[in-house]
Amino acid sequence: MHKEVIRELVAIVGDSRATTDETELLVYECDALALFRHKPDAVVFPTTTEEVARIVRVANAYGVPFLPRGAGTGLSGGAMAAEGGIIVELQKMNRILSIDPTDRIAVLQPGVVNQHVSQAAARYGLYYAPDPSSQIACSIGGNVAENSGGPHCLKYGMTTNHVLALEVVMADGRVARLGNAAGEPVGYDLVGVVVGSEGTFAIVTEATVRLLPRPQAVKTLLAAFSSLEDSSQAVSDIVGEGIVPAALELVDRRTTEAVEASVYRAGYRLDAAASLLIEVDGFDVAIAETVDAIVGICRQNRSFDIRVARHEEERARLWMGRKGAFGAMGRLSPDMIVMDAVIPRTRLPEVMARIASLSEEYCLPVANVFHAGDGNLHPLILFDSRDSGQVERIHQMGEAIMSLCVGVGGALSGEHGIGVEKKEFMGMVFSEDDLDVMRRVRDVFNPRGLLNPGKIFPTRGACTEVGPGVIRTEEARRRVDRYVLGTEAAG
Amino acid sequence: MTIDGVDVRRVFEPGSTAELAEMIGAAKGPLAPFGSGTRLSFGNPLGAVDAAVDTRRLDRITEYVPADMTVHVEAGVRLGQLQDTLREQNQMLPLDPWCGREATVGGIIATNSQGPFRAVGTIRDWILGMRVVHADGRTSRTGGRVVKNVTGYDLAKLYTGSLGSLGVIAEVSLKVRARYDGTASARIRLPDFASAADMIRALRAAPLDPVSLIWTGPMNEIRIRFGEHASAVRWQVGQLPEGDWETFDSESEPDLWDDARAFYDRLPEPVVRVVARPSQVPDVVSRFRPAAWMAHAGNGILLMSSTPEQIPALRREFPVVLERASLGVRTTIPTFGMRGVGYETMRRLKAALDPEGRINPGRHVDGETGE
Repeated sequence: MHKEVIRELVAIVGDSRATTDETELLVYECDALALFRHKPDAVVFPTTTEEVARIVRVANAYGVPFLPRGAGTGLSGGAMAAEGGIIVELQKMNRILSIDPTDRIAVLQPGVVNQHVSQAAARYGLYYAPDPSSQIACSIGGNVAENSGGPHCLKYGMTTNHVLALEVVMADGRVARLGNAAGEPVGYDLVGVVVGSEGTFAIVTEATVRLLPRPQAVKTLLAAFSSLEDSSQAVSDIVGEGIVPAALELVDRRTTEAVEASVYRAGYRLDAAASLLIEVDGFDVAIAETVDAIVGICRQNRSFDIRVARHEEERARLWMGRKGAFGAMGRLSPDMIVMDAVIPRTRLPEVMARIASLSEEYCLPVANVFHAGDGNLHPLILFDSRDSGQVERIHQMGEAIMSLCVGVGGALSGEHGIGVEKKEFMGMVFSEDDLDVMRRVRDVFNPRGLLNPGKIFPTRGACTEVGPGVIRTEEARRRVDRYVLGTEAAG
Repeated sequence: MTIDGVDVRRVFEPGSTAELAEMIGAAKGPLAPFGSGTRLSFGNPLGAVDAAVDTRRLDRITEYVPADMTVHVEAGVRLGQLQDTLREQNQMLPLDPWCGREATVGGIIATNSQGPFRAVGTIRDWILGMRVVHADGRTSRTGGRVVKNVTGYDLAKLYTGSLGSLGVIAEVSLKVRARYDGTASARIRLPDFASAADMIRALRAAPLDPVSLIWTGPMNEIRIRFGEHASAVRWQVGQLPEGDWETFDSESEPDLWDDARAFYDRLPEPVVRVVARPSQVPDVVSRFRPAAWMAHAGNGILLMSSTPEQIPALRREFPVVLERASLGVRTTIPTFGMRGVGYETMRRLKAALDPEGRINPGRHVDGETGE
């Protein structure tokens, strides 16, 4: 990158809040998806919206790519500088600007840690509902960019359902206020489309979010099953009964083994093929009845052990196993990749069975721990990154899992985003026309393509020359058909 | 026929998304889509059009998987028809726009229509995906059919409330929910404005989770509805702040809400939608003194009778949408009052997806000057 650019960046934020040091830049070469890496040329740490705007104007003046980054906990490479350039690191903009308990809203800077919002709102009996598993570290700006979910979005919705208004720095450096505290779009719903745009539309510098009153009663239970089919059926039956649990999570045997051998030990049954972690909340008067109904459904589906947490400490321990599952995997294997896909809930048993057979086919162990209630799968593929053969198989198996999920009517991502990880799979679900409309909308927000380039849209599909490992969009679709139909599709 | 005072010589009546795409692609001039026509006077005045597109033959519920709680419908399906189908499986869409059961799903989305259920959300919260036919006759899809999805940009958000100006909504996937185990409603009439404002504050501070909370004036009447677990509903009714409440069970409550609907319909025009914070609603009412009004008291949305002279003053402080106004008023006052970078971005979105301005010309952002 041109020395002049660095000089101008330093003029905006000062020496101490800009770095081009090769060693320091290494920290920023990837987000939590370490499989894809690319070093930025510079990282700057603005503290105000005005500084962000000036940085963006400098990037525009020199035609340098730039992108926002929060805590770097993303799992699709969204905060990775795919084409180098400037990373606008927003962690220093981490103030909770206001909490209004009467109107139940909070105004937040983008670097505020997700969990800090609920902690700060607790004294008013309020909380912020979206709770990604990384909530102790991930930032609100990143949540908005990725439209993050979490276990409790089964009942309460994703980030998009809780963001009311945004202040953003547009790709050309202008500052805009979008939306309002009532969450009522006036004109096109620009807030709605910026949320989940994976940092390719604008840089969020302030978010106004909805807070909810804490439910009167919360009950958490753990039900052990001796087969995945039984547990999946219980999931369908609970939801089919009209019960909307606050969370409905599935943990399989391999995950249980890792968790129980780790510091996250939660007392999950090692002899269970799958355990369901179920949480319900609501009014005191109704909660016992709801718990009874769920216990009944689990029993009907041959659950051999059901434990209802008796107090907060026990409840926290049950959740610790679920939340610590990713961390516990280090015991089983040096590396892992968290897949993210969604399927219709009713297809859980067959898809789980297919994933198990893919695991054998590719000789890569898979652990499953996921949001069963909304069909959001998270197969964790365990591997050793020093073994290049395994890394190659990871990519193939990842694609096979995606094809499988898309084939049953699912989607490529439920909450992690497309980023660089899945951009080549977009052709599995979207036609060229679909992608063209998305590109045109992106170009409205990001006309020069300098903001977070190299994300979301397939690049290989457009290649005229197809080399080894390169999948054309057409080919990708054929592969989908193959997984759906179990045969080579005609044409 | 005429739409919003504009003569339309031809009316297309496609029976499928493919036919819709073919008709739009083959037509050369500007077009105006419509459904049941319940809100054809919403939006900026329609410009000249060659033809209208009637979506009412797109009336199939093409896929309904009760166990997945998802339904895929064509845009012309009536809300009543959909709710009846869902009801057979003890499911529902928590949506009861003032425009009623005859309104089409596509029309409700295009106008982002709302009713008492505003307290628990709007149609945007239930949309999983959409298929839209664009001005060049191409069809595009956004989202999907699963209940949780971040694959690609969420363009359904853009189409919701767009008045079809970015493309004609052809098909929609929706998430649905179980019907409430129990419901109950209550109404109270307070002696004056101040005591009604106090009651709203008390209701908001109480441990209640209403699915509807409507405050109407000038008669200082509050309507509240609870829905969920039957025992929780009974408990909440018991927790209502002290007052002369009249309560309604699930059998008798429809009358109460039909009556609210009739009140909405009778609000003297022009009716504006003032977007404020919940705590600001009493202040707006006491300062601007509307002849009649209805507030979604838990959300800060105030529907009030206004005057053309008053609207600019309101707009200096709040976003204000013309909810219902005569063609004459809408000719002089823009419906949305968009401004700044937001307005400019919306202009460019319209230009990007409908470069020739063929769909619903003048209706949305292309009918505003941004001042």
